[in-house]
Amino acid sequence: MRWRLALVFNILFLASAAVGAQLMRVADLADMSIEELGNIQITSVSKHTERLSDAPAAIFVITGDDIHRSGATRLAEALRLAPNLEVARVSASSYAISARGFNNTIANKLLVLIDGRTVYTPLFSGVFWDAQDVMLEDVERIEVISGPGATLWGANAVNGVINVITRRASDTQGAFAYGQAGSLDRGAGARYGGAMGAAGAYRVYARFFDVFNTSRTNGASASDGWGKGQVGFRTDWGTATNALTLQGDAYRGSLDQAIGDDSSISGNNLLGRWNRDLAGWGQLQVQSYFEHTERDIPGTFAERLNIFDVEFQHGLRAIGAHRLTWGGGYRYGDDRVSNSAFLAFLPANRGMRWANVFAQDEIALLESLRVTLGAKFESNYYTGTEPLPSARLAWKPQPQSLVWGAVSRALRAPSRIDRDFFVTAGPTQLAGGPDFASEVVKVIELGYRDQPSPQATYSVSLFHNIYDRLRSVEPVSPTTSVLGNKMEGTADGLEAWGNYQAARNWRLSAGVFFLRQHLRPKPDSGDPNVSAAGNDPAHQWLLRSSFDLPNSTELDIRIRSVGALPNPSVPAYTAADIRIAWRLQRELELSVVFIDSGHVEFGNPATASEMSSGAYIKLKWNY
Amino acid sequence: MVRRWLRAGAFSAVVAAGLASPRPVQADAQADEYRVKAAFLYKFGSYIEWPSGSFASADSPVTIGVMGAEALAEELAQIVAGRNVNGRPVRVRRLRPGDPIAGLHVLFVGRADGGRLAEILAAARGQALLTVTESDEGLELGSMINFVVVEDKVRFDIAPPPSESSNVKISARLLGVARKVVSKSS
Repeated sequence: MRWRLALVFNILFLASAAVGAQLMRVADLADMSIEELGNIQITSVSKHTERLSDAPAAIFVITGDDIHRSGATRLAEALRLAPNLEVARVSASSYAISARGFNNTIANKLLVLIDGRTVYTPLFSGVFWDAQDVMLEDVERIEVISGPGATLWGANAVNGVINVITRRASDTQGAFAYGQAGSLDRGAGARYGGAMGAAGAYRVYARFFDVFNTSRTNGASASDGWGKGQVGFRTDWGTATNALTLQGDAYRGSLDQAIGDDSSISGNNLLGRWNRDLAGWGQLQVQSYFEHTERDIPGTFAERLNIFDVEFQHGLRAIGAHRLTWGGGYRYGDDRVSNSAFLAFLPANRGMRWANVFAQDEIALLESLRVTLGAKFESNYYTGTEPLPSARLAWKPQPQSLVWGAVSRALRAPSRIDRDFFVTAGPTQLAGGPDFASEVVKVIELGYRDQPSPQATYSVSLFHNIYDRLRSVEPVSPTTSVLGNKMEGTADGLEAWGNYQAARNWRLSAGVFFLRQHLRPKPDSGDPNVSAAGNDPAHQWLLRSSFDLPNSTELDIRIRSVGALPNPSVPAYTAADIRIAWRLQRELELSVVFIDSGHVEFGNPATASEMSSGAYIKLKWNY
Repeated sequence: MVRRWLRAGAFSAVVAAGLASPRPVQADAQADEYRVKAAFLYKFGSYIEWPSGSFASADSPVTIGVMGAEALAEELAQIVAGRNVNGRPVRVRRLRPGDPIAGLHVLFVGRADGGRLAEILAAARGQALLTVTESDEGLELGSMINFVVVEDKVRFDIAPPPSESSNVKISARLLGVARKVVSKSS
């Protein structure tokens, strides 16, 4: 009943935002003379493009074009394009994805947003990658920020933020359909976009896929195939100065299990966002969403989760050298778990609240030197209010180059797995810690970005992380362990990437990532196995080549190499994926993609999935 | 649940659509950067002479292509609705890098596609096409007009193309309004 109320509230909010949109001003600028136009004072530079090139942070952007040319068929696969992410496929449906270390299927130091909607589960502060997907052809870009983003994004943005941004509805007009079939998976999808009056546009889409079973290294089937269908819509009204977005998705999926009935997942969400240019008063964004997810693993665990989230952000017009942004948010989660004899969350049902306020001041010390000071205060259900401060410095010695540095404190707030968890395996038991506190990291970063010629860009960043209160498993009796905060350590690393337009029709991209982690139990810890926190390679690299050949043919080669994982030990691998695409007609594209996935990427090699290599054919039709 | 949600979604979409009908209000002396740039882009058309043969007929539209600047494309689409350039209707086309540029009369390349500027401008060279950019290296890479923001005002620099019959001609009045005019030897 309460959830129906939340939904009603959400709709009321959207309706009131729409009333605001009524105050829209349509430009009469076009009736001015060209001399008059030159005297118009502009309120702000375009928020995003400006921010990205000048942002004092390690940001890698995967463009929609990059995704198209990679041949990726699902969101998690598209993330392999970011050199600052660790992406390891664990089974047909399961992925371990992280930035700057601690990679795991329940990796918990990365914040993932899809069009502003936080998609991590409060169960373990991580992402169920089998549930999160988008129509890849409608993605405008994916911003991958490695490093702490806590001040702007909040807790959980410990080691990185992934921001998936889909195109505006006005950008996806007309009909589009694809079909894809191959030895590893198959899928199909369609989208239609149209106009809604003079200032609005919409699109609707549907897609499904089927991923076939992978096999164990001994050749036996892993019985882990899965399938998923998803539908959704997005509508955008207004202009860049006054815009209202309403969007939603619904999905349903089924995952094979080796033993027992298939697992099932389903979910839906509805989000509204209103952007308003308040002229002299800056810019305001208000956003609210509701999300429902279900997951049933027969015999083990079932979950029903409802999330309601509302937030606002107000960017003031620059006052002297200061540009102030502030905002706040509130989030409510109602999590209901059905427990089994093996695994339990107690209490089974938990209502959780999160709230935050933040402020950030960007100070232009000189024309080429900016300091950004910010702090967020976030309260969570378990540990109360905690501060997340950061300071960033950006210096532009030349217009096309940027030196930046940052110091930040970020934390990962406890999730249900840390506090409410009970698992029984034979005689041994593991329980969440009643006093489990937030994991903390202090981060120092230094970076340099440059465009030495119109054809070349590159970025290098260095980081030093100091971790404290990391999760450990503390034995309290020979058969019982409790989760504690008695691990600490450091991590140092380097991320670098670049693009080079070697010729008009040939583009090269490369990226590399080095990581050195030193984690240790604190003196009073009894945890014998510190490395359980994650399993990371010491280095990885990525090389992409995109050729435009004559006769509208595209040739893309991607080579990625990932170093050995220490524990459990997984050998290093290098894989080359190839895509060839032909434009048969103006509206019709045929592509063949070879996927070099014949290796183990994560887990214990004896029991892990060894993907086989394969290929698929895809037909895309655009009208 | 899904059905209930879909119903709720459809309902709020209808509510919002009903309320969001735009109503024009007088613009004040402050505006978003992209609104000003969009207005300029529309205005430029009146100061450009395209070679004969650029238009199929006397009432063929002037086509403005916009790449890598969604906000601008949107503003521009609103501006040109019902307006004319030299008696011709105006059409806005949103483009992505690699899309064909044949048939365009004006091409704007925004910052979002700035990384591929060299490639895009190279493809436009030699065509009867006014190229407009907003990047520091825009003119250097071959664009004809480049926007700059000076003291919170949108200005532009011009590098007129060599006067050949196949090129567009930029009127002296527009050159007079430019912040600076760069002459090119090539």
